[in-house]
Amino acid sequence: MKSLRRDFSSNPQAANVTSKVFVRSTKSGKVQKIVRELYLRQDIPCSSKLCSLCPSIAPADANGNITPFILSDRPAGTKAFPRGHYLVPDTNALLNGMDLFEHTGAFYDVIILQTVLEELRNQSLPLYNRLLSLIKTDEKRFYLFFNEFRLETHVRREPDESINDRNDRAVRTVASWYGEHLRASSKKGKKKKNLRKAKAENVTALSLSDYVAGLEDSEKLLDMISEAREARDTKGSARGQLFYPEYYSMSKLQTGLRAGTLHQGVFNVSPYNYLEGSVNVPAFDKPLIILGRDNSNRAIAGDSVVIEVLPQDQWKSPSTKLVDEEAVTRNDNPDTDDTEAVVTDRERKALQEEVKKAHGKNSEGKPQPTAKVVGVIKRNWRQYVGHVDSGSTGSQAASGRRQQTVFVLPMDKKVPKIRVRTRQAGDLVGHRILVTIDAWDRDSRYPSGHFIRSLGELETKGAETEALLLEYDVQYKPFPKNVLDCLPSEGHGWTVPASKEDKGWNGRRDLRDLLICSIDPPGCQDIDDALHARPLPNGNFEVGVHIADVSHFVKPNNPMDLEASVRGSTVYLVDKRIDMLPHLLGTDLCSLKPYVERYAFSVIWEVTPNAEIISSDFTKSVIRSREAFSYEQAQLRIDDASQTDELTESMRNLLKFSKILRQKRYDAGALNLASPEVRIEADADEVGDPLADVKTKSMLATNSLVEEFMLLANITVASKIYASFSQTALLRRHATPPPQNFEDLMNQLSKKRNMELDVSSSGALANSLDRCVDPENPFFNTLVRILATRCMTSAEYFCAGAHAESEFRHYGLASPIYTHFTSPIRRYADLLVHRQLASAIGYEGEDGHAGLEGVATRGKLDDICRNINYRHRNAQFAGRASIEYYVGQALKARGEKMAVDGTDKGVDEEGYVMRVFENGVVVFVPRFGIEGVVRLEDFVLPGESSGWNVTERRELAAHRITDFDPEEYTLRVQEKGHSEKERGVLVELFQRVHVNVSSVKEEGRGAGKRRVRVLITGASDKK
Amino acid sequence: MTAQRQASSAAQTPHLSAAELSYLYTSLSLPNNPIRPDGRSPTQFRPLAAECDILPGTNGSARIGFADGTQAIVGVKAEVEKTTLTADTLDARSLSLQSDLGPSGDGREGTEGSSAATGGHGSWVQMSIEIPGFRDDDALPVFLAEMMRESLVGSVGGKDGDGIERGMAGGLKGRLVINKRWHWRLYIDVLLLSQPLSYPLPLLSLTTHLALLSTKLPKLKSQGEEDPFFDDDWAVAEYLYPRASAGLKFNPSQQVRPPVTLLVISVGENVIFDPNREEIAVADAVLAISVTRDTESQGLKLLTIRTIDPPSRLTQPGVPNSENVNMLGATAPGESVAVLNPATGEEEIPGVWRPRRGGVKRSVIAGMVKTVLKKGGVGEEVLAGLEGVQVG
Repeated sequence: MKSLRRDFSSNPQAANVTSKVFVRSTKSGKVQKIVRELYLRQDIPCSSKLCSLCPSIAPADANGNITPFILSDRPAGTKAFPRGHYLVPDTNALLNGMDLFEHTGAFYDVIILQTVLEELRNQSLPLYNRLLSLIKTDEKRFYLFFNEFRLETHVRREPDESINDRNDRAVRTVASWYGEHLRASSKKGKKKKNLRKAKAENVTALSLSDYVAGLEDSEKLLDMISEAREARDTKGSARGQLFYPEYYSMSKLQTGLRAGTLHQGVFNVSPYNYLEGSVNVPAFDKPLIILGRDNSNRAIAGDSVVIEVLPQDQWKSPSTKLVDEEAVTRNDNPDTDDTEAVVTDRERKALQEEVKKAHGKNSEGKPQPTAKVVGVIKRNWRQYVGHVDSGSTGSQAASGRRQQTVFVLPMDKKVPKIRVRTRQAGDLVGHRILVTIDAWDRDSRYPSGHFIRSLGELETKGAETEALLLEYDVQYKPFPKNVLDCLPSEGHGWTVPASKEDKGWNGRRDLRDLLICSIDPPGCQDIDDALHARPLPNGNFEVGVHIADVSHFVKPNNPMDLEASVRGSTVYLVDKRIDMLPHLLGTDLCSLKPYVERYAFSVIWEVTPNAEIISSDFTKSVIRSREAFSYEQAQLRIDDASQTDELTESMRNLLKFSKILRQKRYDAGALNLASPEVRIEADADEVGDPLADVKTKSMLATNSLVEEFMLLANITVASKIYASFSQTALLRRHATPPPQNFEDLMNQLSKKRNMELDVSSSGALANSLDRCVDPENPFFNTLVRILATRCMTSAEYFCAGAHAESEFRHYGLASPIYTHFTSPIRRYADLLVHRQLASAIGYEGEDGHAGLEGVATRGKLDDICRNINYRHRNAQFAGRASIEYYVGQALKARGEKMAVDGTDKGVDEEGYVMRVFENGVVVFVPRFGIEGVVRLEDFVLPGESSGWNVTERRELAAHRITDFDPEEYTLRVQEKGHSEKERGVLVELFQRVHVNVSSVKEEGRGAGKRRVRVLITGASDKK
Repeated sequence: MTAQRQASSAAQTPHLSAAELSYLYTSLSLPNNPIRPDGRSPTQFRPLAAECDILPGTNGSARIGFADGTQAIVGVKAEVEKTTLTADTLDARSLSLQSDLGPSGDGREGTEGSSAATGGHGSWVQMSIEIPGFRDDDALPVFLAEMMRESLVGSVGGKDGDGIERGMAGGLKGRLVINKRWHWRLYIDVLLLSQPLSYPLPLLSLTTHLALLSTKLPKLKSQGEEDPFFDDDWAVAEYLYPRASAGLKFNPSQQVRPPVTLLVISVGENVIFDPNREEIAVADAVLAISVTRDTESQGLKLLTIRTIDPPSRLTQPGVPNSENVNMLGATAPGESVAVLNPATGEEEIPGVWRPRRGGVKRSVIAGMVKTVLKKGGVGEEVLAGLEGVQVG
């Protein structure tokens, strides 16, 4: 039997067509063989300005222009390549040294191959995104070369060749092709860098570290190479000890997740105990607890992990102890972890005590399900701000340039210390530094990472502010040029067109004759909103809210819009504002400044004298604000009976309506929540008491005047856009918190105060909160509100299609639908809502075709919502952290000023016990809006001749004995060997205590943060 | 209607005269040494063009063209599917394992249920045949498909063959099992490109065989009872029917292979392979013989024999001179003496065509089967030839 086979060798086109074959597994479990045909071309340019050939063959656009070439004709030289070189990195080089490539000192003229980019994407999505943004910037001259599509550089996989080998070969092929190509066209020899085994093909290849060693400033740069992979080789197989259990295989995880035996969730770490984590999974109401390093198995706060529930005999109650990492593991040596177990004896002891507690009699401490981490779906590692643990640098620190391993203590207490190898240990001690985690292997007790850069010395304002911004992922770099290019060319000279024939007036109502004013905090520059009210002939009133028309200036999908959507929100720090939009718009052109004409987006209602809304109307408009008041000024003017002009009358009307609206809202069940906020007025003069700047927020009637109308506008707009865009309207919801969130608080209240909390609805909760009053303790009610707020979920943006209409509810405001409309200068969500509302009312823009491009698709909106939710949260955290830092600094400044005999006596204040642990309590100090952990040594016992020195007091802890009653929430601290009366103090939950607040330099993790130390000096209202 | 009838009865009858038929028959039935119109030996095949992997989008594919112009393409696609029938039996089994009931009636039920999970199920192979001019629910394609599928899934003893097959316990069905809860489903699409000139079964069978030989399944990365998870590299995909690796000593007869169906005719006492149209037209009997490798006896194993209605039954008979009125007196009466045809046991007048009435001697059929099955016989030759078609 013979068989014949067709012969393709005679077909000249065959070489240009090839295919890529791979297997794709879909989510639904289908497995498909995918074949992609590739048509190879020869007109993909090399993009080097040295090349004379490629400009003639490069594909041109419709106008006959070709994309400008990127790679410089004068590339930088190094010791090894004095005549200049281009770089062709392979995937490993990028994986290990992305920070290097981003460095501005070196690494210019880099050719990124399509092969490498795709490989990188499969291995690490964050690195891939960073590389993409590098390619997009012009300065670094990174060129993405589509080598797979070019005939000369396409590499066919040989039989039995692994994918990695093939990709390596592709990199070498490109490198040698570039060499020949440029030699042919410019006669100037080019050197290439690549990794490994390229000698045979006549390509210069260097390992990343060898290459960097040839650059200037190499020591700094070498530290930036990822530690993980390279160090593994040196360690070799000699060190066999594995500290952590292996993760399950991906398929086992998938099977388990589908079968419901494993659960997926985000790993959280308790702020009070670094050994205790929790994971919230959809299958259970309450989060599962993960205790100890063994069980958390290399997960770091924020990772998306898969967990397995432990057998019931290992269930434990959540810890009632404060455990700090640096206190327990102070003596670890970063270089040698071979000898120690993953759970040190001290850690184990800390855990044992918790187990004991779990078997206790009390109801609250009954064992709760625990779980262990068996796999990580997605690492959520970012860059961490921290500082070098000076104890870990060892004695060699002085010896200078030798590479050594040190621990970096991240600012975020939830993140374990990171082992970093550096040559600059000596220089870095005492600096805020930025590091990243590269890996956490089974044979390493701590994750290993590498140094990126130093932010400056600890406790300097610049370094600490930048640290804060980095920790909360705030984009604080100045706006790039392409964003500023989107601003109106007139700059500050821009005005509303004088002639009504101008296209700027298209679709706008002229509201310049209305008596509009704005009320904001003092010194506010970005005025989002203004108001007016006037009587109508029929006895009703017309009330208007006018919002800065930001969407007029920020057109969809231009660079400014994209930048704003990434930033998501303006971030307010004590002494700094990180804008979402460029300064020119935020504080001038959009801002509804007084006495000038501005574009606005107005919501106008007709209301009866009883504040019943008869109709509402939306329009783009032009307004002229008559006055910009601060809250105080407005209040004064309203209260001043001698003022009877129309503007004041209008404000009085507004106030009257706002009070009615407010009452209606509370009747509907809105919550009056409290947050422990203080305000800092940073115009401090040097002589006064620095603490005088720290003010608790006062609520004037005018505050709620503005607030009520903003809420009303938001609600009105929300229903309007939802009516028009039932799937894509951008709304904001506040989910009803599950009742079990309140369990602890309800227990505590009923036990300590015999009070009931009814959480069946927001109205019921509001009423029961109103009843939580302690006549002797006026702050008690606020304290309960603060605690109740923490039991709730946070509000979130979403697009209407993502939830059923019944889920739209805003729990806190007791409104069935809500959105953000009133602050488009500082929130991106509002800007989107403006666009949607404009489209909903048929506003066509000044040139008649403003569409809803970009926000009409749900997928894109979902992404935006995710981002702005994240940014919104971070902006809040950053703001709070900034205040906390400022309070600490103010205390420090005061301490230095008031110091007697060189010791800081601190400030005596009142505090309230928020939480009771076995070895300390958490106290809230309303004056400064801070909560402080009070450890054993910080209890000043009666009759104690107190030394205030931190180190002296630390000794005290050993002499103290405690009696913790988790059922009664009390903690008795007394000195060993003394009777209770003499040297003992009993604190209980919700108790008012006298505290002494001072700022002390902290050692260990918080170093430089200046922990705010709280000393309990006595209990005031013992019951 | 006629097309259908003709196709199912072996072939379109060529328009041959009675004299031509008689001439062909006489030549082919010469004892021990038949003379075929194209000069081939009785067991010689016409050259055929065969190639594999012609459809990149499939898991395996093949094309075969016979010398008479008939051509077929076969594509095989595989899909992962959840094994539903074992969901409860799995529970029963694990239950009985846990409670340690021992080999009671309970336990037996468990093993019975799990045999489908471990041994595979015939319905996991689906075959569809498309023949020009036929609807897909016509009798012929459905009949052919079922015939081929049957021998395919049944090729290794229906019960769990406890032989020590290499790599393929339980034959094709067993190979499709991923684990207790998942299995592959094979879709075999057979496309006949030309008109069915001769009975298409052998062509379709050979092409299917070749396509299955070239079929690859993605490499499994997960283990045991996990949800299946596959390597995304197609280059490491594994053959459905494991191939001989170059270095290892390889005994082809130990490999499980898909069956092939051969068309064999008998003329007189002669057995003729790969008959062309004219030869079929005069055949006494037409048989489709399915064989496959027998993993136990290292030889070939007969799966099925199907007789096919020979077209010679429908031809017009020739008239002997003695009965021809026109020829009355022109011939000597002694010329047309009827002789006994040894194959059929009927009296015939030499040189005069009589339509075959069917029926063939046992010894002839035994001869046919023997020629196919014997060591170094036609069956092995065909299988080796198909194996030799370069894959990839």
